[in-house]
Amino acid sequence: MLRAERRVSRKELADGVGVHPQTVGYLERGEYSPSLALALRIARFFDLPVEAVFSLDPLPAIGSELTRRTP
Amino acid sequence: MTTSPDQTFLARTFEDGRYAWTRTHRVRIRAVLAEAALLGALVVATLVQALTDTGWTTAYFLVWSAGMLLFIPLHSLLNLGIRGVFDRGRHSLDEHQEGLREQSHSRVGWPMTALTFAAWTGGIALASGTGHTALALCLGFLLWFASGLLPYWHLAWTLPDEADEADDALPV
Repeated sequence: MLRAERRVSRKELADGVGVHPQTVGYLERGEYSPSLALALRIARFFDLPVEAVFSLDPLPAIGSELTRRTP
Repeated sequence: MTTSPDQTFLARTFEDGRYAWTRTHRVRIRAVLAEAALLGALVVATLVQALTDTGWTTAYFLVWSAGMLLFIPLHSLLNLGIRGVFDRGRHSLDEHQEGLREQSHSRVGWPMTALTFAAWTGGIALASGTGHTALALCLGFLLWFASGLLPYWHLAWTLPDEADEADDALPV
């Protein structure tokens, strides 16, 4: 999970993007699809393009992706 | 655009961690069933009383008062379970909570209309059939009251359990 990889608590992320912590939980468990505005705020929080955070397909872990790309 | 939900005193109460035990699906379901049973019992008591010649009595008034008093803690429990999303200002809700509120309102739209219609017709029918106007008003109030509670019940019934606070722990 991106949040865990970045060592960000649920509350820190929630405060950073302007939602309640439990909403972050619903997002992480796939029980809620965010609005475009919220998706963009989350992507900006992690300083990543939105397609690196949200995808219709399962995303690989950022850490493993970086390891794979490192020569 | 405000992106951070304001934390009013009321909102802080609904977010208070001491009430986390009310936010489980099991507690919410029980609260809904208890409220529905209470209102159902009051409707039955009103109809039974209306069938008597005496109509409004002190005993009925005591039953009504006890029922209304019991409703207060029950609804507080239910409201804590759904974080009070129907009673807080929109500025204290985030987009997910607003979505939950609107979804529950729209899902119970027809039943709410039906119950409101039943409140009017039931009250009028009871008043014209038995002559007990006060009891007719009570019946109409109970059904109208139940129609307003339907969104609360729907949300409490359908809202999944929230993530455990332990899930928030960061890896060492």
